[in-house]
Formats: sequence, C-alpha cells, structure tokens
Amino acid sequence: MSHVSQIAARELRAFFVSPVAYVVLALWALLAATFFLASVITFDSEIARLQQFGAFEQLELLNLNDHLIASFLFSMWFVSIFAFPAITMGLFAAEKANGTEELLLTSPLTIWEIVLGKFLAGGAFAAILTGVAAFFPAMLFAYGDPELGKTMSGLMALFLVSLTYVAIGGFASSLTQNQLVAFLVTLALLFLVGLLIPQLVVFGLASDALHAQSALIEVMRWAGTGAHFERMVMGLVETRDLAYFAVLIAAFLLLTKTSVESVRWR
Amino acid sequence: MSEPASAVDAQHLSKRYGDVVAVDDLSFRIGRGEVVGFLGPNGAGKTTTLRMLTGFLPPSDGTAAIAGHDIFRAPLPARRAIGYLPENPPLYPEMTVQSYVDYVARLKDVPRADRGDAVARALERCGLAEVRRRVIRDLSKGFRQRVGLAQAIVHDPPVLVLDEPTVGLDPIQIREIRSLIAELAAPAHGDQRQTVLLSTHILPEVAAICSRVIMIQRGRKAIDRPLVDLLDEEGSLEAVFGRVTSGEFAAQARRV
Repeated sequence: MSHVSQIAARELRAFFVSPVAYVVLALWALLAATFFLASVITFDSEIARLQQFGAFEQLELLNLNDHLIASFLFSMWFVSIFAFPAITMGLFAAEKANGTEELLLTSPLTIWEIVLGKFLAGGAFAAILTGVAAFFPAMLFAYGDPELGKTMSGLMALFLVSLTYVAIGGFASSLTQNQLVAFLVTLALLFLVGLLIPQLVVFGLASDALHAQSALIEVMRWAGTGAHFERMVMGLVETRDLAYFAVLIAAFLLLTKTSVESVRWR
Repeated sequence: MSEPASAVDAQHLSKRYGDVVAVDDLSFRIGRGEVVGFLGPNGAGKTTTLRMLTGFLPPSDGTAAIAGHDIFRAPLPARRAIGYLPENPPLYPEMTVQSYVDYVARLKDVPRADRGDAVARALERCGLAEVRRRVIRDLSKGFRQRVGLAQAIVHDPPVLVLDEPTVGLDPIQIREIRSLIAELAAPAHGDQRQTVLLSTHILPEVAAICSRVIMIQRGRKAIDRPLVDLLDEEGSLEAVFGRVTSGEFAAQARRV
C-alpha cells in the first residue's frame, strides 16, 4: 500500500508545481462564486415574484435546498465536465512523455499500485474542489436553515461524480503521451456520459424511435450521470446510485490497468 | 534455473514484433562482479534485450534470471535486483535532484531507516551533492545523466544495466561518466563490486572499463569473449566490430 501513497504524493506535488492546478482551482472558485450568486439572485427574485402574486402556498414550498443549493450543484457538475479533463490529462501521459513510464514499469511495483496511486492523487484533488464548492452552501447556514443531510448528500454526489471523472480521465490519459489528446478524449467521454446519453434518451422518446419500456432505454437511463446525481442532490442516498458510481469507477480503473499493461504487449 | 553465482542468466531470449525479429534466441550468462560491454550497431536489438532483462518488455520466448530471480516467476525480486539507466534517463523535470532520488529509493523498497543514507551516498558517488536542491529541468545534460545514474544505484542493486549512458554528452562529460562507471565497477573503498551490463556503440568505452564483450548483430549473438582474448586475436575492437557488422560473423553464427 505504501507504493500507492508514494505515487499519489509525487503526483500531487507535481500538480501543484504546474500552473494547471492553480488555473483549474482559480476558475473553479470563480465559477462557483458566479453560479452561487446567480442561484441566490434567482431564488430571491422567485420569492419576490411569489410574494407579489400572493402565492403563499407556493412560497411555503420554496426552500434553500431544492431551489438554491440544487441548482448550484448542477452548475458545478457542469463545470466539472470541463475541469477534470485538465486535471487528469497528465496522469499517465506525462509519464510516457518523460520516459518515466520505463522507471515505473521496471521498479518492483504492480500495475495496480501505479493505477491506484494515480487515482488517489486525482481523488485528492477532487476532494479539494468539492471542499471549495462546499464553502458556498456552507455560508447559507449562517443566514438560513438549509437541511444539513440534504446538503451533505448533494456534496457527496458532486464528489462521487468527480471521482468517476478522475477514473475516466485517467483512462484517457493512459492511451496517449499527448496531454492535449488526453484532454480532448476525456472531454468527449464526459460529454457522452454526462450530457449526450440523457439527451439521446429524451430525443429517442420524443421521436418514438425508442420505446419507453425497452431494455435499451433502461440501459441508457442508467448510464447517464444525471438521474443518479439528481436523486442524491434531492437527498436520496440509494444503493443503486452509489453502485452506479462504484461500477463506473471500477470499470475505468480496470481499463486503465489494462491500458498501462499493454505497453508490455507491443 | 540459474546457478546462484550468476548475476544475469539470459536463456534463449527472443522478441518478435509481428514478423520482425528484434532479438533471436539470445543466451548469455554474466557472473557476479563482471563488467560486460554489450555491443552492436544501432538496431541490433541491444535496447530490446535490456528492456527484457529489466522487466519493461516480456520476451516472446525464453526467460532470464536476475541474481537468481526469474523475471516471470519472481518479477518483483528480479526488478529489485536491477538498477537500470534507460537510453533516456527517466526523470521528472519538476522535481529536485534529491527528492527525485529519494522517490526512486522508495519505489525500489529501500528500507525507511536506510533511505536517507542511501540517497546521500548515491548523490555523493555521482557527484551531485552540490546540486541536490536544484530542479532537474535546470540541469545540463551531463548532470541529468548523472541523476539517471544516481537513481540506478540508489538501492545498491547487485546488477547495473546501463543503456548508452554517454550518448549525446560532450567529451568532458563522457570522461566523467565513464570514470564514474569504472568506479562503480571497481570501487576504490570497500564497496561491493557491482555487476555491470553496459550497452554502447562507442568502442573505446568498452576498452576502458569492460572485461568482457558480448556483441550482437540482427538480434543474434555474434561474439561473447573476454576483452583480452579479443584484443589479442583481432588487434582492435574496431576490426571486430567492422567484421561483425559486415555480416561475416552473423552468417557464421547462423550456421553454428
């Protein structure tokens, strides 16, 4: 296990001597602040509108979790689709470009130790980003009373999505020695999983090309991140959603391991 | 299996890429403390052979044992027994010299209690003590090569595999690296003699430090003899190299 943490520690240090980590952190914080402010303003104007029309019943239904934090978390999920390719693009590609792949593969390490070390480093960065995002909903506790449990499960959803993206990005990075290629492949994969598949479901249903009950639509519904993310943001922590993230992470770690190993098959 | 006495025991190593045969049924044995020059023209299969010995590439056929550890059956002990300087030193440009060598020491399982000493000693032996806090990116090519050597020796491996360690260096740097290797092979003060397998196509390098020559041509072994005998019979390494690369020896070897 110590090899895993050594690889992770070196990777994290490398993150923080490269400008990429700081650019991503700064943009992430800036966008978080912007989207949070936008969510607050939207929430505020919604209250004003409902009061104006005297719709007190609907006003009762408005709450900080479902109408402010949720939309903030959805925005940050969208941002993460662009942030994580930048974080993971170098994980394996840089080792190939440096020639240090040869050092790792001729050291007394298993491939799993290398893959898990890289994943751990990416996961630590994901935790930092989730922590930055958590700062904004946390402020609400000073001024209102959002539900703690719901807020936590929403943040956990963001963290789990991030971990999944680290696993996917790590795999893309292991395919190439070019970090730009790794970035673009990851972006494409994240778009596919995060946005494209749910859109296809919507189009497929709307155009009657797919039957609502068909196995294909079930698989596609399951494969898209959105539904799982949404349930957790709404405070539902269910095994099937946790399993979704676990399955995706495990599958991409396995693919990465195979890809790293494949150097030896040439 | 290998005799415990041999540091490297290559048995019928072959590597094929599709139809291309890079290394063809190569066997040799290197005893503890021997310094062997591994020669051959570019593309003869030197790097491929070294990569098979170090565990970077699996052989298509055959196997090898490093200090008695089979590379297939005991890959981790075999890799632990090797210090390897690849053709391009595997450096992380953003790290400092010391933190890099320390990181490699961790990867190679140097016990925590010995790590500080091991790193300091490797830096000292490679003449890196003064630059240990410098970032690798800022070092000259000669110094980077030394850092590459330092990472290869930091865990005090019984077998040292060096792939063209002086390529691309200026004459003064070449002389320095060469004397460093000679010092590793025949240490002045009490250190254990290391077995060295040195790949190169610079012939004076071999004459300067090696006691035995293995020459390969098109993936096959062409010559495997003590340097003294070779020089006695042929006069100079250049003559041998010329004859081997012109195909005469390769043809003979194929017939045998």
